[in-house]
Amino acid sequence: MSKIIGIDLGTTNSAAAAIESGSPKILENNEGNRTTPSIVAINKSGERIVGLLAKRQSVANPKNTIFSVKRFIGRKFSDSEVQNDKKWLPYEIKESDNGGIEIKMGEKWHKPEEISAMVLAKIKADAEAKLGEKITEAVITVPAYFDDSQRQATKNAGEVAGLKVRRIINEPTAAALAYGLNKKNDEQIVVYDFGGGTFDVSVLEVTDNTIEVKATGGDTHLGGDDFDKKINDYLVVEYKKQEGIDISKDPLALQRLKEAAEKAKHELSTSLETEINLPYISSDSSGPKHFLIKLTRAKFESLVSDEIERSIKLTEQVVKEAGFKVGDIDEIILVGGQTRIPAIQAAVKKAFGKEPHQGVNPDEVVAIGAAIQAEILSAKDEGRKPEGEVKDVLLLDVTPLSLGIETLGGVFTKLIDKNTTIPTEKTQVFSTAADNQPSVEIHVLQGEREMAVGNKTLARFMLDGIPPAPRGTPQVEVKFDMDANGILNVSAKDKASGKTQSVRVEATTSISKEEVERLKQEAAKYADEDRKNKEGVEVRNQAENLVYVAEKSLKDAGDKVSADVKEGITKKIDALKAVKDGQDTEAIKTATSELSSEVQKVGQHLYNKDKDQGQSQSGQSDQPEGSEQKEEKTDEGEKSEEKPANGDKPEEK
Amino acid sequence: MNDKIKKNKEVDNGKDFRLELEQCQKEKEEYLNSWKRAKADLINYQKDEAKRLEEMAKFSNWSLMEDLISVIDNFELAIEVLEKSGQAEKGIYMIKTKLEDSLKKRGLEKMAVSVGQPFDPSLHEVMGQMEAEVESGAIAEEIEGGYILNGRVIRPARVRVAK
Repeated sequence: MSKIIGIDLGTTNSAAAAIESGSPKILENNEGNRTTPSIVAINKSGERIVGLLAKRQSVANPKNTIFSVKRFIGRKFSDSEVQNDKKWLPYEIKESDNGGIEIKMGEKWHKPEEISAMVLAKIKADAEAKLGEKITEAVITVPAYFDDSQRQATKNAGEVAGLKVRRIINEPTAAALAYGLNKKNDEQIVVYDFGGGTFDVSVLEVTDNTIEVKATGGDTHLGGDDFDKKINDYLVVEYKKQEGIDISKDPLALQRLKEAAEKAKHELSTSLETEINLPYISSDSSGPKHFLIKLTRAKFESLVSDEIERSIKLTEQVVKEAGFKVGDIDEIILVGGQTRIPAIQAAVKKAFGKEPHQGVNPDEVVAIGAAIQAEILSAKDEGRKPEGEVKDVLLLDVTPLSLGIETLGGVFTKLIDKNTTIPTEKTQVFSTAADNQPSVEIHVLQGEREMAVGNKTLARFMLDGIPPAPRGTPQVEVKFDMDANGILNVSAKDKASGKTQSVRVEATTSISKEEVERLKQEAAKYADEDRKNKEGVEVRNQAENLVYVAEKSLKDAGDKVSADVKEGITKKIDALKAVKDGQDTEAIKTATSELSSEVQKVGQHLYNKDKDQGQSQSGQSDQPEGSEQKEEKTDEGEKSEEKPANGDKPEEK
Repeated sequence: MNDKIKKNKEVDNGKDFRLELEQCQKEKEEYLNSWKRAKADLINYQKDEAKRLEEMAKFSNWSLMEDLISVIDNFELAIEVLEKSGQAEKGIYMIKTKLEDSLKKRGLEKMAVSVGQPFDPSLHEVMGQMEAEVESGAIAEEIEGGYILNGRVIRPARVRVAK
């Protein structure tokens, strides 16, 4: 069955999206762009051009280049909006026989829906090229304030373009779908949509999987173009001040200025200051003139503050019309490229006292939502669950919390991270913490805390019969295998003896949502404390190891090192021993590094004295062996040769 | 009598097993198919991903190229002014060529635009119209050069067309 695509048919730009491999993706057009200008033109040779190409020739062909047709679709010629728009549009429109509108393009008069159909036909063709399959059905979005006749006309446009329009949905509803807010219950949502040419606000109410539009408002002639114009005007005035030249009379200079203004606006969304740098922009009798000016974010914000304030007033008004107070609003969604402007985000946040939803590209969020609606419809047709919501026919669950074991010093070492899709299998090799340690205890835990004590115990078991060996030498392979039902099999195998022990834990995924939330919050709350604790443990483990190594090297070296070297090391060992069990991490670190450099002298000493001897013993100084404390806790040791003398967990960044 | 009951039971059991076997085979088919599908999905995803990465590598310097193209534009403006006053030094041309060459090595091509050539919106953008001795609608003047990066128009040539 062919895909249903989602189309955001905009006033200035349109976009299309479809579900690919389970998630909605914007379909790039033939020119490689993610949006297509909603512009159609007939050129001198009578060819029809659509999109970016139509835009490129518009200057030379203004009468036959049709844009903003969405302002006319499904309207009556007598509508006051139509009469107003008629004044500033460069192309001709007239009243049709039935009181509707006709637009002149080339020699022919077209209905607005025919023009929209040409845009949709290009989108359809480009989507087919991109997806490599025929597209016959679509979901198209319209503004929430569109009446029945405007919706019907949009639907007709789709049909003319060869698309069966499965559903016309509201733009704000699509935005809410893109953020998955349709799954909420009893929530009030404000969609603040600040586009290039129009500003729309809608208040939505979600109950039982249905989204209802409670009120809409805005200004059909307020948009980002106004912002660009403000910057432009400011720059013209500044240039006049700098050079005494009125640049607004020079169309080429103006074009360069316009582009620079738009670029500056974009840059000021991420940086606090930008530079307009336009060499050779004009000239006078004294020679060429350049334009160099700094534009700060503060200056830009002061230029557009009226517009932003107006948008907030309109928003508050719509909330009131919907019968709500600002405080009743649960979620705010930002749509439209202009919402990237930090001042807009701040103003919205201030008005509602809440962080608005961001994350989905505001230029694409409506098309993404339309694609999600399309997928819901396809899934229904095919009698399956929608992709993305539930992956394919298979129900693939995720682990709600991380799973792992306790390692030396009470640290929680994760094997399976939270949100891993199951079934999954992870294996890691651990080792012993003491010489000749006969067994290790595998303490299986679930949770997000860095330290084992904060997490939930799922199981404990012992693996014994480990042949006597120095610490860090035995290789105990721990395997976590979680099947599709969330049943966890943990096994531990001593690689040398082949001895294996295992345990089965059921229902690791059946934790209630509230419980998962609580545990996650707890983990976040104690994150700092846990990190410090863990660091403390690591530092102590390292110290412990070094003391062991140092004592062992002294013993092994016997008389081969001089007494003063020995004494130096012994002193440092005692110093480290004195602090290592305390809480002063910094002191332990210092004592550890001092001992470490002291111990190196043994190696140097031996090496200089006897090369053969030195070689056979060189391993000693970096083997993590021996300890008199804490038996039975496992300690990572797979890479003990590369990661000497400490309890570092390789999985931690 | 007892034998008969026993026999019937066996028949029933046989039927049950057959049904069960049928059910199992059906399930097996279903599972095998979905497993194959999942495997295929993954392989296809990996292929798509590889293609996307390749595209990304090809066009990752798109915005840098755009910025540098505007530098070339400025160079051209400067050279034009210097030429008029007879101050254009060879060095300036050399620097410009150096910049252009290094961009060329990375896949950037300059479009050839000539006066009288028909206007093509897939390559050109109209900035204005002027009186000219070429066919109406044809290119009368090139204002800024057009560029193609790895086969894709990164910036159309800005032109004026004849009235």
